[in-house]
Amino acid sequence: MAATFFGEVVKAPCRAGTEDEEEEEEGRRETPEDREVRLQLARKREVRLLRRQTKTSLEVSLLEKYPCSKFIIAIGNNAVAFLSSFVMNSGVWEEVGCAKLWNEWCRTTDTTHLSSTEAFCVFYHLKSNPSVFLCQCSCYVAEDQQYQWLEKVFGSCPRKNMQITILTCRHVTDYKTSESTGSLPSPFLRALKTQNFKDSACCPLLEQPNIVHDLPAAGVLSYCQVWKIPAILYLCYTDVMKLDLITVEAFKPILSTRSLKGLVKNIPQSTEILKKLMTTNEIQSNIYT
Amino acid sequence: MDVCTFEKVGIRGTNIVVLGVEKKSVAKLQDERTVRKICALDDHVCMAFAGLTADARVVINRARVECQSHKLTVEDPVTVEYITRFIATLKQKYTQSNGRRPFGISALIVGFDDDGISRLYQTDPSGTYHAWKANAIGRSAKTVREFLEKNYTEDAIASDSEAIKLAIKALLEVVQSGGKNIELAIIRRNQPLKMFSAKEVELYVTEIEKEKEEAEKKKSKKSV
Repeated sequence: MAATFFGEVVKAPCRAGTEDEEEEEEGRRETPEDREVRLQLARKREVRLLRRQTKTSLEVSLLEKYPCSKFIIAIGNNAVAFLSSFVMNSGVWEEVGCAKLWNEWCRTTDTTHLSSTEAFCVFYHLKSNPSVFLCQCSCYVAEDQQYQWLEKVFGSCPRKNMQITILTCRHVTDYKTSESTGSLPSPFLRALKTQNFKDSACCPLLEQPNIVHDLPAAGVLSYCQVWKIPAILYLCYTDVMKLDLITVEAFKPILSTRSLKGLVKNIPQSTEILKKLMTTNEIQSNIYT
Repeated sequence: MDVCTFEKVGIRGTNIVVLGVEKKSVAKLQDERTVRKICALDDHVCMAFAGLTADARVVINRARVECQSHKLTVEDPVTVEYITRFIATLKQKYTQSNGRRPFGISALIVGFDDDGISRLYQTDPSGTYHAWKANAIGRSAKTVREFLEKNYTEDAIASDSEAIKLAIKALLEVVQSGGKNIELAIIRRNQPLKMFSAKEVELYVTEIEKEKEEAEKKKSKKSV
């Protein structure tokens, strides 16, 4: 109890937590309805990995089911466009499965009947060399779903004799530097690799105090570091987060690295495909001139 | 920082000013005429902008009203510098007011003053403006500006057609799919704004390609 300046007596909150503790605990106890809602939400946010042909869930993780020597993951629309135009165009890739998930960032509200066009995370392998995998992830994987995604894809005991390459984008305003931001040559590439990755990167390494966020980092790269898998993340800092030709072309130096060598054949044709992709996208927006 | 993908180029010639813009591909059902990037502010001044179309509309309307108000008040048309300063001041006000955001556009303003001298100015969202002999705005502005730095010579701008060709060549450096994606406007001294039709642009593009071929033939002859 405390007296205020005006003479009235008010109950002061006590941080020691004394006589009111029991009342509060009762309020905190979960009712059956709360539990039901919580379970429903967990079911809704579950990450499901589905086989291509049958659309049934995979019993084991993707990389436990299929042997993998090389895994290239593109996260974000610019990285996905880059792999679609340059890598997927240069060989025959077969879809092996897809990861379906829902979170508040998704545009659809129906979680049970997601159509195949909405499969946001699609996995492919190269027909001529089925141990080479590719993942196109154009959706946002929320923090609580990242571990599930990793488990369903990599499993709890991943093989160490594979190499992972991750491509993603970030806005240049996230880049911390002592230089003036106006002078930054955006878009530009930076790399971050695990200890076991011995090859050199085709661009400078990410300087401190910059950090990488979300699935590419908190997820895949950390996972690879813990399990001693050689992995490298190529991060493109750009000033245009929507699908943009110049941002996609900023990934081009990666084509000469060992990660993508042998997978890219027809570069001029790839550039044409990329341009077509851009034009179909451009027409939809009238905001900018 | 230019978010817009489409290039705009402005060149100040001796007797002509040229504005070239990269045309955006429009949807099939959209009326192309309503997607204009080069706007006349008055008979002797015009402007091309890069950025948010809606913001540009507001700025252009204010500038047009100011041009007429000036003409009625002091009985003289605005100088290019005056209207540029007006636009830049307007933009700056919005960077220093609460509850407002800056105009998301960069503009190239060209025209002729009463003294017969051509002018080219560039403004940006902060409200600064500078005079240029030739400049580009847009996503690949750096590339285009480097091209202009190499090729902007007194000879290049001496004749009207050479200045027009320089503008087109600069745009072709970065514009995909060539001449049919280029829109051009010129102002000649004491003449109103002239917008080029697609055919006229094509004619210039063909001429440029011919000159390129001839230059290459000469080069190969020399090396042989």
